[in-house]
Formats: sequence, structure tokens, C-alpha cells
Amino acid sequence: MRDGGRESGRNNEGRLKRNRPFGGDDFGRAVARIAVAQVCESTGFHSSHRSALDALASVLIRYICDLGKAAAFHANLSGRMESNVFDLIQGLEDLRSSQGFARASDVHRCLVNSGVVREMNESFMTAEEVPSACPFPHFPIVRFQKPMPSFAQIGETPPGEHIPDWLPAFPDPYTSTHPLPVRNERVTDLHVDETEQAWQRRKAERSLLGLQQPLACNGMAQPSPAFDGDGGKGKQVVASNPFLAPPLPYGEKEVSEIVVPNDASTGKRLSVLETFAPAIEAAKVGSLDCGVSDERMLPNKRSAVHFRLGMDRELVVVPFSSSTLGEKTGFWYLRDDEKDGKKQRAELILKEAMKNPHELAQL
Amino acid sequence: MNSSSGEGRHDDDSALTEFLASLMDYTPTIPDELVEHYLSRSGFHCPDLRLTRLVAVAAQKFISEVASDALQYVQSFQFLAFFCSIELRIMHCKARPAPPVKDKSKQPKDKRLVLTMEDLSKALHKHGVNLKHQEYFADSPLTGMDPSSREE
Repeated sequence: MRDGGRESGRNNEGRLKRNRPFGGDDFGRAVARIAVAQVCESTGFHSSHRSALDALASVLIRYICDLGKAAAFHANLSGRMESNVFDLIQGLEDLRSSQGFARASDVHRCLVNSGVVREMNESFMTAEEVPSACPFPHFPIVRFQKPMPSFAQIGETPPGEHIPDWLPAFPDPYTSTHPLPVRNERVTDLHVDETEQAWQRRKAERSLLGLQQPLACNGMAQPSPAFDGDGGKGKQVVASNPFLAPPLPYGEKEVSEIVVPNDASTGKRLSVLETFAPAIEAAKVGSLDCGVSDERMLPNKRSAVHFRLGMDRELVVVPFSSSTLGEKTGFWYLRDDEKDGKKQRAELILKEAMKNPHELAQL
Repeated sequence: MNSSSGEGRHDDDSALTEFLASLMDYTPTIPDELVEHYLSRSGFHCPDLRLTRLVAVAAQKFISEVASDALQYVQSFQFLAFFCSIELRIMHCKARPAPPVKDKSKQPKDKRLVLTMEDLSKALHKHGVNLKHQEYFADSPLTGMDPSSREE
């Protein structure tokens, strides 16, 4: 029992990572929570703890399920599939038996004048009507999946005698492209173009997407059209959310080249702070607009950023080109005379972040 | 005797039918869709809407009973706390000549009634439901242990 500590710890971690321990019944639970909150409010509570509300909602769901099971059991016991009011009253009596109800000891009691129903009638007459807060749709929504048509339904002969015609038909040829003929073309072509390779790869991915789309949309009423390409759809996506736009093909947008510093000629190394100096100045100025000001502040040429390699405490600049290794190892963070207050603070933050990377990982 | 029992049964029948008929006019707090969903999941099959309403009314009655029991616990605890605070103040007043007590804010009427797990578990225990709530959750099994035993 003692040894199970570690394993249970691991299990707890897994349980914490999972967001939904209750399964796929979240909508029903949410509705139950609303109903329970309304009942508590009508009773006189001003507020409630969330855990208490969840627990009470679970109790409500359990109660309804138990009542249904008991009524179904009594119906099946009598040789019926459909339950009636007497099965329900017997189920109510079963659930109420732990607390007791009127005339429970009467062996020859009739279900029509059961004490449970009488109590319910009395409380129902005195209670005020509190309807549900909002209308709910009939759930769960059942979606009927349209099955894939078979060869016989399409009127196609299956390609091969071993395939019977009652099996689902193969997908259309436009949804798949064979890479073999492309490769033959490349073999004949002596000069391999990199952009051509990337275009072929993208075409293959597009065809895969085109195959997946009709399969995914099979359950829905509207059949999906062929995947025409990035043009029309991409523009729509861009209009709605720029982050979901498809990636641009190679060469469409001009991106500045990375300037590799020639250490022998200039001898000056740029620190992380100096690279981000424009952004820091923009923050000082106070302009928080992401769109225009950033474009103005970013330089046209992107300079190389020196990153720290290794897990040492001391920050050592590793030069970009290996030829100058071992010559100058400037401790850039020690140049105090050049910095002002805000830069020092930014330096400190960067230093602490790089010193304790394992703490960052835990977050 | 047979006629009287027959009349009695007739009265009971009519009472039940009237009750079921009145359920159609009353809208319970628990929505019908929720009740139908869980009843169908548990095997209860009946197309009659009055029975669904009966289940909803029964469940609402159960939850309101539990909530009212919990409310009684909360109110009795608050009254007890208020009573104890008054006694302490009286004892303090007797010990030293204190300035006039001006605390109307500590009356239980101004305090909000909050449903907590403790009161709920006590109320549910009366109705036969055992609810146990963890007081706290620890990150690892060694949390809170003595440092000496932790090293072991």
C-alpha cells in the first residue's frame, strides 16, 4: 500500500492533464447544473460553490437514471417493454423506502393511493412554479451517416474480378496523384529545380486533402466539391482570420535575406538586446499597435542573433562563424556603462530566464 | 363493503388522473429534454409526456428537499456563530470599559447564504447519499511530510 505512492502520483498527473474526466456527457451535465442552480435559488441560497453544484447535479442525474432503471425493471418483470405509471410509482416507492412514506407497512396497499404520490401532490400544490431558465433543444442530436455507395449503386464495374460489386466504390482518381510519373519526369530532366520539387510536394498534400474532405463530409447533407486550390478558399479564410490562412507558396512574398556577419571585417557582434532595440524603443514610445508601428520599426535587413549554447551560468557569446572561435569571448552583459535603466532590467530578465530553463519547463 | 371499497378506488383513481392531468399545466424547473435523455439511457421507454413530467417533479422535489436541509444547516451554523460572537463580546465588555459596540455588520441577516460541500454532504447523508469531499489535493505523495522522513 505504501509503495503505491509513486504510481498514484503518476496517475494523478495523467488525470490532471485530462480535461474531461466525465466523458462525453458534458451538455447533459451543464443542463443539470443550471436546473439545480435554479432549484437552490428558489430554496433561498444566494450563491453556491461550484463543486457543490457539480455534486448536486450528479446526484440529480443519478436519481433520474435510478428511477428510470427501477421503472424499466418493474415493467420487464411484468412482461412489458413499455413502462406505465404503476411501474413508475413502484420505482418511486423503492427509492423512497430508505426514508419511509405513508402507509409503507400496509402489505395490501394499492399503488393508486400510494403515499409517495400523495406527498408529491401536496408539495406540488404548495410550491411555486419556477420554469427552466432557457429552452433546451432535444439532445443528443443523432446524425445519420450516409454510407459510401457501392460499385453496383454507381453502376461501375469493379477493377478486378476479386472485388465484388457490393463493396464500396474506390474514390475518384482526382483525389489521388501518383508520384511515379513525376519522378520519371525528374529523372529525364537533368537540372533539378528546387521550386519544382516543392510544388510537387504541395500537389501531393493537396490531393491527400482532397481525399479526406469527401470522406469527412460524408455524414453531412451537402457533398463537398473538388478541392480547387488555395486561391478562392484562401482568400475567404484570409478575410475571416489571417492566422488560419494557408501558407504562401515559395517565392510569392519577398523576404529579406539573412546577412551573415563577416567577423574579420567588422569585428562587431550584435547582442540580443541590440537586435531587439527597435522593439524596445517602440515600447518606450508607447505605441502598442501591432500593425503599422512594427512594420515601421523592423529593419529591412535581418541581422544574425547570437544565441547562448550550453547550460553554463556565465553567458558566453558563441560567434556565428567557427573560424573566430576562441579569439574573443566578450561578456556582453558586463558592458554596464552603455546601458540605461530599462535595458538593464531587460538584461536581468533574460539572464534569469536563461539561468533557470528547467523552471520554465515546469510551467 | 364492496361498494364502499369500489367508491374509494374510484376516488383514488380520479385523484391520480387529476394529478397527472395537472402536471401538463405545470412546468417543472428540470427541463423535459434532460429527463427524457437520461430516462432513455436507463431503459425507461414510454411515449406519455405526463410520466416524464412526473419524473421531473419527483426529481425536483428530491433536490429541493436536499437544498432546504442544507439551508437549515447553514442558517443554524450562522446563528450559532452569531450567538458565540455576542457572548465573546459580552465577556470583553465585562473585562474592560469598552467603547459602545457598533457592529451591526456581523448580523447573520447580512451574510450571504452559500451552499458548500460540507452542508451538502450532511444534507445528502440524511437522504441516503454518501458524499465525501477531499479537503485538499497535493501535488505529490510527499507533500506535507516532515523533511527528515522525506529524505528517507
